[in-house]
Amino acid sequence: MSDFPKILLDNVGVENSHTLQVYRSRGGYKSAEKTLKTMKPEEVVGVVKDSGLRGRGGAGFPTGVKWGFVPQNSGKPVYLLVNADESEPGTFKDRDILDHDPHKMIEGIIIASYAVNCHDAFIYIRGEYGWIVKRVQKAVDEAYEAGLLGKDILGTGFDLEVIVHQGAGAYICGEETGLINSLEGKKGQPRIKPPFPAVVGFLDSPTVVNNVETIASLPWILEHGADAYRGIGTEKSPGTKLFSLSGPVKRPGVYELPLGTPLRELIFGEEYGQGMLPGIELKACIPGGSSVPVLTAEETMAAKLDYESLAEMGTMLGSGGCIVIGDDASMPEVLKVLLQFYHHESCGQCTPCREGTGWLDTILERMLAGKGRPGDLDLIERVCQNMAGLTICVLSDAAVMPTRSFIAKFRDEFAALLPKDEEPEEFVPIARSAEDRS
Amino acid sequence: MAKIIIDGKEWEFEEGMNLFEACTIARGGEKLPHFCYHPGLPVAGVCRMCQVEIEGVPKLQIACNSTVRDGMVVNTRSERVENTVRQILEFHLLNHPVDCPICDQVGECALQDQYMKYGLYETDVDVGDKVMKHKAQAIGEHVMLDAERCVLCSRCVRFTEHITKTNEMGIFNRGNHSEVGVAPGLSLDNDYSMCVVDLCPVGALTSRDFRFRKRVYRLSSVDSVCPGCATGCNMRIEYADGVIYRQKPRTNLAVNEYWMCDQGRLLYKHVGGDDRLEEPFVREDGELSPVGWDHLWSALKARWEGLGESRRLVLVGSPHATLEELYGLKSLLADAAGGRVLGHRLDGTEMDRDDGFLMAADRTPNDQGARRLGYEAFTASELHDAGGEDALLVILDNDLAGLDEAAAEALGSYGAVAYLGWRENATSRVADFVLPGLSYAEKDGVFVNKDGRAQRFFKAVDGPRQAREDWRLIAELGEIFGHTPTWRAHHDLLSELSARLDAFGALAGGIGEEGTLLDGDSAAKEVERG
Amino acid sequence: MKQDTELPKDPEQGKVESPAEEPSAEPSFAFSPEREAKFQEIVRRYPTSFSAIMPTLWLCQAEWGWLKPGIPEWVAERLEVPVRRVYELISFYTMFYTENPGKYNLQVCRNISCHLMGAQNIIDHIKKKLGIEVGQTSADGMWRLEEVECLGACGYGPVMQVGDRYYEHLTIEKVDALIEEWSKSE
Repeated sequence: MSDFPKILLDNVGVENSHTLQVYRSRGGYKSAEKTLKTMKPEEVVGVVKDSGLRGRGGAGFPTGVKWGFVPQNSGKPVYLLVNADESEPGTFKDRDILDHDPHKMIEGIIIASYAVNCHDAFIYIRGEYGWIVKRVQKAVDEAYEAGLLGKDILGTGFDLEVIVHQGAGAYICGEETGLINSLEGKKGQPRIKPPFPAVVGFLDSPTVVNNVETIASLPWILEHGADAYRGIGTEKSPGTKLFSLSGPVKRPGVYELPLGTPLRELIFGEEYGQGMLPGIELKACIPGGSSVPVLTAEETMAAKLDYESLAEMGTMLGSGGCIVIGDDASMPEVLKVLLQFYHHESCGQCTPCREGTGWLDTILERMLAGKGRPGDLDLIERVCQNMAGLTICVLSDAAVMPTRSFIAKFRDEFAALLPKDEEPEEFVPIARSAEDRS
Repeated sequence: MAKIIIDGKEWEFEEGMNLFEACTIARGGEKLPHFCYHPGLPVAGVCRMCQVEIEGVPKLQIACNSTVRDGMVVNTRSERVENTVRQILEFHLLNHPVDCPICDQVGECALQDQYMKYGLYETDVDVGDKVMKHKAQAIGEHVMLDAERCVLCSRCVRFTEHITKTNEMGIFNRGNHSEVGVAPGLSLDNDYSMCVVDLCPVGALTSRDFRFRKRVYRLSSVDSVCPGCATGCNMRIEYADGVIYRQKPRTNLAVNEYWMCDQGRLLYKHVGGDDRLEEPFVREDGELSPVGWDHLWSALKARWEGLGESRRLVLVGSPHATLEELYGLKSLLADAAGGRVLGHRLDGTEMDRDDGFLMAADRTPNDQGARRLGYEAFTASELHDAGGEDALLVILDNDLAGLDEAAAEALGSYGAVAYLGWRENATSRVADFVLPGLSYAEKDGVFVNKDGRAQRFFKAVDGPRQAREDWRLIAELGEIFGHTPTWRAHHDLLSELSARLDAFGALAGGIGEEGTLLDGDSAAKEVERG
Repeated sequence: MKQDTELPKDPEQGKVESPAEEPSAEPSFAFSPEREAKFQEIVRRYPTSFSAIMPTLWLCQAEWGWLKPGIPEWVAERLEVPVRRVYELISFYTMFYTENPGKYNLQVCRNISCHLMGAQNIIDHIKKKLGIEVGQTSADGMWRLEEVECLGACGYGPVMQVGDRYYEHLTIEKVDALIEEWSKSE
């Protein structure tokens, strides 16, 4: 990709980029200062709406619109929860910001809090990122000392408390209501909606949950304006996004690219992945974290990295976790790894997900152990059908999407696990009526 | 009001009403399939069974977490809904042992009902692939848990969290290893623990008292009111072949909602208890001997007449007796036969702590009924002072001697004591005449609870062969004292008292399903409570 | 990954465990002065005592390495929350330990990106080298091997977490060197 401003990773690679001193020396906190001193909160919401920034956690919901749902004067405090529970397999982008540029996030927190009239923000960091918790805590402490957090920030009269909270190992806490429950000291089980968190969220108060990357995009947007941001990326997917590239490529890592960049550029571009490891051919790619449908090699070469293009191909941009799969990998084995994950991470409250994730895992395990039965693939499809769209949150769908697409696109590999002497038969429902039985 | 169409028919409901409840009405009382929804608990929305189709909403929605909105078009019986529910049911059965023949829930199991309905008799899951969990653990004095049968509806957890606030139960671990249980070191021993048995839609939580004693489909049931305290929780007595097997709360939103305490629930044990008075007794040569009724009546009459010219009748009622009995005692033996009513209870007795929920401080069921009939509390010294060699004391179901030592002594000051009641106690043991009556489970009657709410209860089983309905015994006593009652049948008592006494005018039109409040004062109180 | 938290079983059907009657040898716990100060700060800053359960459990693990018997009760008492809420959390989250996780708990990521880069070889190698199975702690309490879900280091796999640190781009040689180093640190 040619020319675009680095919005998110501009400081990464700079020595001691995580310190307040370095961040400020590179212009840090000027955007927050300007925002607090010269703009009204509703103007900030307006700019973010106009910028077209969309949530970077995976769902892609327009950030400004989300903020707009927060009722003002509800008589309750408004909370901002920063979702740093990065745990979608194939995703390791927020980690770069948290580790190398925590002040960018803190500056974004100040801006977002100001916009939604929040005075208590939490940064919920996944439990495994223990050293990052320390790093972020240190940055928050620095910000407090410099008068950037706490009472009367930068003499503007705006107060903001920030608490760094460490999760303890549960993928589902990345779901925003699971995160809210977890922060309330409960199991991280998603909540039934309605009510929606913008109205009834943390401690039954209006709550905004934003991803780290979303928050970290704010200082640039407020500094340069909505139009400048819209000048990057595509019309409907403006701006840049972080992409986590993993799998057997020469240069895996986190890259910032304008939305709309061809996927092949990320994988094969000289500045990015530089192509597959020697001896391995591209077989497939999951473009948006493990929960989205897989693309074949051919589709991968044609795909563009923005919300709309990927949706057209039947998959999703998701978290931007691009997992490259080489021709040395067995697709059933890769799917088994994922199903074991969803089985392990289902929170257990909704029956279709609790039972379905376990069942899918069991069936595939059986197939891989050479004990597959004719009709197993149809059984998997039937289980998938019954899991999709019927639960409180989308973890169930997240297990279904890769499953269906793996089997649809690489059916031969799965069929090869089934007994060869028998023709796979059409699925016949085993359930019978009471009359049949008697 | 909101106009909404359910299954093709138009209905009017309150805007914002729970859609599950609206659907129940629209379906003629047939509830949507469900395990986790319970009107007395916060909505969990986890079993996913009550899916309905709402026009304009692409995904199916769970009715329990939806509300009625004007113009809504809801379908609860479409093919899409039926298919989806069948499939979700299959998930529920996946790790369930389906061991109905050896499960005590058979006959009242929501899971069994559903899978019979949907015909899901077989499964694609190997038994060896099922997730194993703890079997048959006693998690409290009254409750057993079989975690494998649990469908994780979380009702028991919500009950102990939100209703009793005792927090013994939880769901531990996650995914399909989620398991309901009591937290380590705790046991489920709160005063309402057996409500979780009622709440459990499957055979995971069962009553240690009831399990394996009777298949539920062999039980008959009758509406009753708990006699354990002044709250008057509505309940059902379930019985078979003349034996009571259990008592369960009956919904009355104005009184006990859906709940009752364990103590009240287990009171039925007294009905068939070892201390039942099964025969009439007369004290002869200092010893109480069982006699026939004829013998008792003639001995009593002789004794009464033997008390001399100045003989008097002193009457003690009871906060345990029914409204009808208390009215009979007063109208026949006091007003007509000139007896003196001392009161209905010893002042300050049978009081315990009010637990702020259902257990009232007053552990008697009909204090308010008695007071409205003009009965008052009395002291042991009043009991003593009313006595004398020429006095016959008639006590209706009231263990004066057991409640108070001074009262026990006071009994000695009477020429004779006749005791009407159904349990042997310190008072019956010192009485000269023991007239065995019936328990709350063996007769019809009305209690007035602490809020002034009159509530009816009905007979479930027969009493001991020689025991008699208390109101008949009172009528017989009237005959002895020379007065024939105006009432011939039990229901005459209620019609007469509601016609004659202003305090009970509200009962003239009968007693409603939720009971009938006797006065406006309590009605106002109720509004506050609600 | 962590074993499911074992709930107490009643070995004898129909008999209730009555912990109240057992002689209670309640161990008593106390934070070090710094951690006590940290605890007080948590209590002060978190909006509810429930919210403070997780950070308090982390503090306990920092103090004692794992959540020894009695700690959940102690935490519940200090925060004035029902103990079942504490146990529910411990059982739900994978990073709270109710058994000693060993001095070096090797948590190897088994998820997709690491799998594609050969995580299974690393796991198999550690099993053989240390003579322990996944989910097992060595008899001397020195080592434990766990397969864990995505650690968020997908571009740098295979990866394992030991304590607060990630060890990335693992090879068999690298694992050998680490184990040797840790063995000496004893």
